[in-house]
Amino acid sequence: MSNLFKLKLSALGHPNPEFFNCEDEKEYRSVVLWLEDQKIRHYKIEDREGLRNIDSDFWKEAYNTYQKDLVSPAAEGTLNEQLNWLLSYAVRLEYADNVDKYKNAKVEEKKKAPNVVSSNPLDNLDFSSQAFKAGVNRVCTVASIGPHPDPKIRLAALAKVLKTSPHPEPLQTEVNLVNQPSDVLKLLFVQDLRNLQTKINEALVAVQTVTADPRTDTKLGRVGR
Amino acid sequence: MVVRQYNEEIKYLEKINPYCWRIKKGFQPNMNVEGVFYVNSTLEKLMLEELRNCCRPGMSGGFLPGVKQIANVAALPGIVGRSVGLPDVHSGYGFAIGNMAAFDMDDPKSIVSPGGVGFDINCGVRLLRTNLHEKDVLPIKEQLAQSLFDHIPVGVGSKGIIPMNARDLEEALEMGMDWSLREGYVWAEDKEHCEEYGRMLNADPSKVSLRAKKRGLPQLGTLGAGNHYAEIQVVDEIFDKYAAGKMGIESIGQVCVMIHSGSRGFGHQVATDALVQMEKAMKRDNIETNDRQLACARIKSVEGQDYLKAMSAAANFAWVNRSSMTFLTRQAFAKQFKMAPDDLDMHVIYDVSHNIAKVEEHVVDGKLKTLLVHRKGSTRAFPPNHPLIPVDYQLTGQPVLIGGTMGTCSYVLTGTHQGMTETFGSTCHGAGRALSRAKSRRNIDYKEVLNKLETMGISIRVASPKLVMEEAPESYKNVTDVVDTCHAAGISKKTVKLRPIAVIKG
Repeated sequence: MSNLFKLKLSALGHPNPEFFNCEDEKEYRSVVLWLEDQKIRHYKIEDREGLRNIDSDFWKEAYNTYQKDLVSPAAEGTLNEQLNWLLSYAVRLEYADNVDKYKNAKVEEKKKAPNVVSSNPLDNLDFSSQAFKAGVNRVCTVASIGPHPDPKIRLAALAKVLKTSPHPEPLQTEVNLVNQPSDVLKLLFVQDLRNLQTKINEALVAVQTVTADPRTDTKLGRVGR
Repeated sequence: MVVRQYNEEIKYLEKINPYCWRIKKGFQPNMNVEGVFYVNSTLEKLMLEELRNCCRPGMSGGFLPGVKQIANVAALPGIVGRSVGLPDVHSGYGFAIGNMAAFDMDDPKSIVSPGGVGFDINCGVRLLRTNLHEKDVLPIKEQLAQSLFDHIPVGVGSKGIIPMNARDLEEALEMGMDWSLREGYVWAEDKEHCEEYGRMLNADPSKVSLRAKKRGLPQLGTLGAGNHYAEIQVVDEIFDKYAAGKMGIESIGQVCVMIHSGSRGFGHQVATDALVQMEKAMKRDNIETNDRQLACARIKSVEGQDYLKAMSAAANFAWVNRSSMTFLTRQAFAKQFKMAPDDLDMHVIYDVSHNIAKVEEHVVDGKLKTLLVHRKGSTRAFPPNHPLIPVDYQLTGQPVLIGGTMGTCSYVLTGTHQGMTETFGSTCHGAGRALSRAKSRRNIDYKEVLNKLETMGISIRVASPKLVMEEAPESYKNVTDVVDTCHAAGISKKTVKLRPIAVIKG
């Protein structure tokens, strides 16, 4: 929460957002006053007296009335939630006052997707070339795929057959011919999978920096019999 | 139960190769499929001896021998393939421990049985590696053992040191290791190297009784008693250099930590609750079994589904439990060596469960089928290139962790294609009892056991020394016999042998 406060306070131009401690009652009260004085300005200056007396016992009452007057949805929440709403409200007002100024502001974002340059040789294949037609002819004869004027359709048929029909055991003389390319494909697949898993792990670690808070309490422990 | 003479019984058994026996139909009534068990000559003697004893006049009642239990499982509705007994098989509740059986999910009559999972749901083994060598550890072995003992509460009635409330437990039951990950107790790589990625997706905590949750809550992050332990081990022998390398095991003498634990009282309560429900379901659906302990329900029935959801929650509990102990182990090592666990390279090699039922796809008689695979005292052992094993083990096959008995040795195996076709990708889980607990208590003196460990140079910390003899190596089959049988039969492959230098247990 306190990081969020710092961010919003510095956006609003608070003189020392870095040192604000929301747990300190006095600091909390003076930030509320600062928000009303500088940003929200809901009351006339003379009506801010109740909030101005930050040492007074009646400050809390004034604060509660203030929140009711602003119709704060967080009025029933914790002190931090209340302050968070006030800060967000002030940010909203600040923005509304200077829409033109902020509208064009851009967040510097890292490029999400790099420009994809296809490295897949198949994308650059000339499907009308003689070499392609001859190649399709050759493999289709081996797999006994019937003729068709469009070699692309023949290739699609071949792909379907290869995917669905059972693969015969290669002949002893052809074992290497068949197994080597399939081993290469398996290795490439494993490499892709490794890259994917590494990205998953990185994502998990990134989330952990927000959520993780491992604790132990040795007082709870008990060794059994 | 059919009562026959031993020489009559033996006619139903046929040795099909030096490591494998067939149990023919008729050995027990109503067998839907045949049974099979894997043994070498030593284990074969134990197995047949057990059968012979039960055939003696006046031996009705008491434990059913393992081989009879395998056959009774073969008589359950919906079973496919064969009812498989692994080399460490011994009598258990309903199913023998060391028995696996698969049931066709598309057959409406197929059943799920809590006895086929066991009371300690998702009991399993996790192995951590380090970059330490035996010589780094020996000088401070005692302190390290004590430190582990201080971090990981053990024994009956022990309580964990990770603060948790009822809501945390609900979340942990649903999320499994993802909970540990979110809370920062484990590393992202730990999840990668865990069966099911440490989370059963069908877990539903609302199907778990309040009683189970109450029993489970204080026990998270504790080792428990019985055969559970945490051991500091060193690599004793490497059989497959390539596969070992993939696991980060480079040389003899390298230090590892093995954690063997399960779902504690939580899983036990889930199983007990389910058995009550199943008895009702059996009456309603007219399910008949050879043994009252084989209580079961149709997979598609409310009781069957409720059990599977609660069992999955218990499985998640066990993974969180082992993850919490992983965290505590890393802390203990980090304190002793004054180095971060990262710098000690304390990665999880793998985490297996050997008491669980899971939905898997297998090829049966040339057809792809969706099956509910029960593994009780049996470890999943998937072959290379199987989609459900981590990418790092795609070329070697899934690591299979076999915990030995206290003071003996442990093994890491890998899954094989032959195991996939013969045993639905399953192998043994440990040594397997040879003497009952009561018998061990009578025959063995606990002081002797502790002295023997000491002379072997093994530091030991136990919560209840008087129960140590139940777990003495003499009470168990020889784990090397068990593992060698699996290796020779081809259902898994030996990779690494580990020997303990410090043990902590309940």
